[in-house]
Amino acid sequence: MAGRRVALKAIDWVAFAERVPPNQKGMFNALKTRTDAISAKLASLPETPAAIDWSYYRKAVAAPGMVDEFEKKFKALKVPEPADTQTAAINTQESEANQSATVYVEASKTRIAQYEKELDKFKNMIPFDQMTIEDLNDVFPETKLDKVKHPYWPHKPITEL
Amino acid sequence: MLSRLVFVTASGLKSSGPLGAGLVHASRSLHTSSQSLAPVPPLPEKGGKVRHGIFPEELFQLLYPKTGVTGPYMLGTGLLVYLLSKEIYVINHETFTAAAIGAVLIYGVKKFGPSVAAFADKLNEEKVAKAQEVKDVAMTNLTQAIENEKKEQWRVEGRGMLFDAKRNNVAMLLETNYRERLQMVTNEVKKRLDYQVALQNLHRQMEKEHMVNWVEKSVVSSITPQQEKESIAKCIADLKALAKTTQAKAAV
Repeated sequence: MAGRRVALKAIDWVAFAERVPPNQKGMFNALKTRTDAISAKLASLPETPAAIDWSYYRKAVAAPGMVDEFEKKFKALKVPEPADTQTAAINTQESEANQSATVYVEASKTRIAQYEKELDKFKNMIPFDQMTIEDLNDVFPETKLDKVKHPYWPHKPITEL
Repeated sequence: MLSRLVFVTASGLKSSGPLGAGLVHASRSLHTSSQSLAPVPPLPEKGGKVRHGIFPEELFQLLYPKTGVTGPYMLGTGLLVYLLSKEIYVINHETFTAAAIGAVLIYGVKKFGPSVAAFADKLNEEKVAKAQEVKDVAMTNLTQAIENEKKEQWRVEGRGMLFDAKRNNVAMLLETNYRERLQMVTNEVKKRLDYQVALQNLHRQMEKEHMVNWVEKSVVSSITPQQEKESIAKCIADLKALAKTTQAKAAV
């Protein structure tokens, strides 16, 4: 009756905690408490149960052969290992998560590229005291005065002066 | 203003005819050569140097090699005397008006010029500072946003740990269950064996008790009434003897 010991992957909870975003801290704490409970329960059980003292029983029990029969059946009995139903589900979850993660990372990279472009625009701008109004309108399009909509000076509603 | 333009063109730039608009526009339209400066170079901080407020310094520099330091002054004095003596410029009422207005103007500019200039500069500075602030805020926001995105990417990299934890949990649960099953089997077998042993013990005990009871009952029933009378008489005689010995002992 060999105790099956699947190698448990060591998890660095400190590093894990660092990577959790603040809005998911609650879920993380729940997971940790669950894991701790399970590992405590596991640690409380011995790996192999206490062996039965067959010689004592052979002497004590008067019925001949009963003890031998029990012993034989006991040794022959194989306890089935419980079936693993969840690992497949977890693996599919993981692959889904990987996919959505790659999508998110792609979107994040495009966002970063966009931000970098705008940052470069700001970095390479000419200093303000060398700009003309046309240059200003090029860099900040919102400063452009609409001379068609408001043909008379100051080319914007007076409330916005 | 146009006099300076004349000197600038005299030193070598091509000109396509002076414009009446501002100096800036004039210098823009002068870019007929292949080189064009973009962005426009900054405007000079101060205007061209002048002496006595109106006469450009370039005139003095122009005349210096030929006539030395006093050249332009002599030129000016000679011109003025010529105009007055030949009555090309006639002194009349308007001369005094012009002189009075000129005096007031010069006094006003000299007194209030710098403060007005500072005020105008302040207005401009405020505009520039506002724009600069907008730019700075935008830049800090962008850098912060980039950092945040990078941090989020780093966080996403840790997603494997979650699934490892889950799989660990599952494995631990299975292992626990397996051990519990082993434990249960052992316990059940032990219980049955113990039951057999206990049963045997109980059997033996009951037999012993029954035997003892039976022996006792048979002994009691075997005592005949005559034997009983004899034994009681013997007991009384023994008791009397005992009483006598204890009385004797007590007396002594």
